[in-house]
Amino acid sequence: MDLSGRFGARSGDGVPFREATALESLHLGGGGEEFRQMVPPENAGGFTALLELPPTQAVELLHSSSSSASQATTLHSLGTLSFPSNPLLMERASRFSVIATENQQNGNVSGETTTTSSVPSNEHIKTEPAETETCDQAAVEKQSNRCGKRKELDKKVKSSTKKKSKSSEENEKLPYVHVRARRGQATDSHSLAERARREKINARMKLLQELVPGCDKIQGTALVLDEIINHVQSLQRQVEMLSMRLASVNPRIDFNLDTILASENGSLMDGSFSGATMQLAWPLQVMETEQSYHHRQLQQPPSQQWPFDGLNQPVWGREENQDHGNDHNNLMVGSASLHPNQVKMEL
Amino acid sequence: MASAYNPIYTDVPEKDVFALHFLQTLSNLRTQNSFSSPDNKTSDRVKKIKKAAYVSMARAAGGTNRLWSRSLLHQAAKRNNKNVRFLRRKRRVTWLMRRRSNRGDPIEDVAAERLRNLVPGGGGMETSKLMEETAHYIKCLSMQVKVMQCLVDGLSPK
Repeated sequence: MDLSGRFGARSGDGVPFREATALESLHLGGGGEEFRQMVPPENAGGFTALLELPPTQAVELLHSSSSSASQATTLHSLGTLSFPSNPLLMERASRFSVIATENQQNGNVSGETTTTSSVPSNEHIKTEPAETETCDQAAVEKQSNRCGKRKELDKKVKSSTKKKSKSSEENEKLPYVHVRARRGQATDSHSLAERARREKINARMKLLQELVPGCDKIQGTALVLDEIINHVQSLQRQVEMLSMRLASVNPRIDFNLDTILASENGSLMDGSFSGATMQLAWPLQVMETEQSYHHRQLQQPPSQQWPFDGLNQPVWGREENQDHGNDHNNLMVGSASLHPNQVKMEL
Repeated sequence: MASAYNPIYTDVPEKDVFALHFLQTLSNLRTQNSFSSPDNKTSDRVKKIKKAAYVSMARAAGGTNRLWSRSLLHQAAKRNNKNVRFLRRKRRVTWLMRRRSNRGDPIEDVAAERLRNLVPGGGGMETSKLMEETAHYIKCLSMQVKVMQCLVDGLSPK
C-alpha cells in the first residue's frame, strides 16, 4: 500500500519521497473526522508537543486534504499505534522525535520533519515547516532531499548510540503525522535503560570535570576523559617523585619520623595542617625526644596490618608525657579521643 | 563539596587523616631492620615508600569502603603474605559487561578502558561506577600528594 511503501522507502533513504506525491491519499479526507476525534482526547498535549503545532491547526491540516476514504480505516488503526499514552514516553519522544507529514499535491503543509538530534538542526527544521506550507512539486523534491539529509544526519547520530530505532519503523505507519522516536526512545525498555545509564554517566562526567582543573572549557566527552586520564597519571607520577625524594631524605633523619609522627598527631587534630609551622617545629622536637621515641617504637610490634587499636593509643599516651613543653599539648589530649573514632571509621 | 548537593558521594577526609596514616605507615617501615640499614639500595626504599604511600592513602580514604582502596589493599596484602584476607573476586561477566562487548565502542569506552587500567580495581566496574571511583581516587591522590609535599619540604635540608 502506498503508505507502507512510502514509509519503507523513507527508512531506506531520500529517493522514494518523490513517489510520495501519490500519497496524499494520506490525507485523511474522510478519515479525518475520526482522526480528529482521536487526537484531542488522546494525549493532545503530547501530540502537540510532537507536532509543535496547536492541535486545531494540526487538525485543519488533516482536514484540508481531499483524499479517499479508503485510507480512513487504515489510518484509524494506525492512529491507535501512533500515540503512546505514556506521558513520560511522550516527553522523551518529543525530545527525539521526527515528525514528518507529507501532503504534496494538495499544497498542504505535509512535509514537516523535525528532528531533535541537535540544536542547530532543530532550528533548521523549525523553519522548514513554514517553508513547506507553500510547497509544490519542486518543493516536494527539495523537501525530500532535506528529509533525506536529515535522515542521514539522524542516522549518524543514531549510530553513536548504537541503538537502531526499531520503534521508529513501527511509528512510520502513522497517519499523516509521522512520529518517529529516534534511538528507540519511546517504546524500548532497553533504550530507556540506556538513556538512564547515559544520564548517569554524564552526571559523573560533570563531577569529574569540576574536579580536574581546566576541564570546564573542553567540549566533548572524549577530550575531557583524556584530560582526566592525564591528570590521574600526573598525580601518580607526583606520588612517585615525592616518594623518591622522601627516600633520599630519609637516611639523614633516622628517628625523626617517629617524633614527627608523635608530634604530628597533635597538630593534625588541630585541623590546620600548615606545613610551614610544622616544618619549623619538627627539627626541634627531634632533638628533644629522639631517643625515647626510638625506644618506644622498637617496643611496638611491627606488623603490616597496623592494628591501630593496639598501636596508637599507647603511643599517644606516652606522647602526652613527653610534649608538655610544646604547644601541641592540649591538642594531644584531643587527638587521643579523636583517634578511636577514626579507627572505627576505618574498620 | 557538600554531599547534600551531590548525590554521588565522594567526600574524602581532611588532609590530617592522610598525614596521620602516612606517617604511621612510615614509622612502621622504620621499624623494619632492612629499611634503615645504609646498605639498602635506594630503589628498594623508594618502592617501599611508594607502596606505603598508596596503602596509607587507601586506608585513610575509607579503608574497604571504596573499591579502589579495597583493591589496593588487596594487592599489597597479596605481595606481603600468602594469606589473602579478602576473597579473591573473579571478574564476573555481568550482564553489563556482555552488553558492553555487544554494543561495540561508544565514544567513551576507549577512554574508559585506559581509566580502568589506571585506577586500581577498575576492571570489573561499570562506566558510571568507574567514574565515581575515579573522582574519589583523584581527590585522595591530590591529598596524598599535598601531604607528601609538606613532609618532604619539612624534612629537606634548609
